[in-house]
Amino acid sequence: MAQAMDDKVSTGRRMLEPGGFVVLEPWLASEIGAERVAIVGAALLAGGAVQQNWRLDAEVTGGARAGRHAWVLRTDAAASLDVSLDRLSEFRCIEAAHKAGVKVAEPIAASGDSGLIGRPFAIQALVAGNAQGRRIVRDPALVEFGEDLAREIGRELARIHSVRPKAGVLSFLPIPMTNPSRREVAAMRKGLDGASEARPALEYVLSWLDANAPEPPAITLVHGDFRTGNYMVEKGQLTAVLDWEFCHWGDPREDIGWFIARCWRFGNDDKVAGGIAKLASLLEGYNGVADIKLTASELPYFEVLAAARWATISLLQGDRFIKGGERSLELALTGLMPPEMEWDALDVIDRLVTKGRVT
Amino acid sequence: MSEHRRLGAEALLDLVAEAFKGEIAPSLPPDKRYLAAMIGNALDIARREMAVEEEALAFQLLDHFYDDGDGTMQELARVIRSGTVNDTSYPELRARLKAHVASELKVRNPRFLGTRGVKG
Repeated sequence: MAQAMDDKVSTGRRMLEPGGFVVLEPWLASEIGAERVAIVGAALLAGGAVQQNWRLDAEVTGGARAGRHAWVLRTDAAASLDVSLDRLSEFRCIEAAHKAGVKVAEPIAASGDSGLIGRPFAIQALVAGNAQGRRIVRDPALVEFGEDLAREIGRELARIHSVRPKAGVLSFLPIPMTNPSRREVAAMRKGLDGASEARPALEYVLSWLDANAPEPPAITLVHGDFRTGNYMVEKGQLTAVLDWEFCHWGDPREDIGWFIARCWRFGNDDKVAGGIAKLASLLEGYNGVADIKLTASELPYFEVLAAARWATISLLQGDRFIKGGERSLELALTGLMPPEMEWDALDVIDRLVTKGRVT
Repeated sequence: MSEHRRLGAEALLDLVAEAFKGEIAPSLPPDKRYLAAMIGNALDIARREMAVEEEALAFQLLDHFYDDGDGTMQELARVIRSGTVNDTSYPELRARLKAHVASELKVRNPRFLGTRGVKG
């Protein structure tokens, strides 16, 4: 429920004063072409380690959006990961995806200016649904909706991958000039160079990825963090794809590998598609919409890439505690996770080598 | 004397973990359950790490590649990245690394190994 506007709530960097969002009203009116916008309620929602989410209740007078709206304002992170997009760039990616027909919370407005409420932010429509990965994969009704949900997710991924680099489209995102998988490996190595702990197993996996990188079928928009836990589900239906801050141009199979990686199945290991369904259902949905047709046999490489990436990110998350001084038990425990992903990556490599598919 | 102090700390952590997970965590409100699970997990890792130090596990791996006491995890990571140590020059490389990762997981998350069909 919306809390009273005279509450003082910490944004992490500063305390918002009573009616702290009132300063947004004239700006929002201008952004959405309204005569007037009144913020009549604001409440801090449960957030993650990376950003804060506020529910805003707004009354809009005049213009195409006249009426009462529930929106979500997401601030920039207090300590953004180096590899993630700033809030305004992420918002532009969401707009591009929305235009391509991807189910996202409708983008309303965004600002890269810290002058308005103390940090950059983006506002999107509030969408009903649950995004908690563990709850989704343990839902007793999953047996009824899981396969259809995976097909829908496949179609959403295909729509994301229909966005291609061309003049005027997300031109702030760098286009890979070399193999995009090798570019990912290089980025991970760069991250590991500054890490507090050396991981020989992870270095081995990265060397393997570098040596076996396949050529991309096309360079497409890649969500970069599309996994169970980053989409909303309401009554078994997908309502919105979330968390676009890792969006980039790359190999579309990177998204599929991330979605099916064992570390994102939340214990439902036999349901390869994100812990919710069979891989065949995901691919059926994807291939039904995409101009690029994918097969299961080309995906293990990208499962290894996903495991290496999550191992690297988790190690660096731990460093936010070890080196950055952020007193967070969650960050500290995340920093202990790399061996889990290293194990999974080495296991996939073992299977591929045994089958004689790679060296 | 130091031996007894180590055992004391281990036994204390054992009791704290047992009391916390058995008596405190179940009575916490739902919004504290995730934090409680993390605390229980951290206590378990700390308890296991008192019995097996990760530094000793690193030396077990390094002993396969370097003379006794020489070499570091940084150095091994570096030569793997440079390609000096690879599957051809060291055919058991992947198996050794996997065994090391498994030994770390026995401390950090033995349940994970169980889900992968490896006895903890």
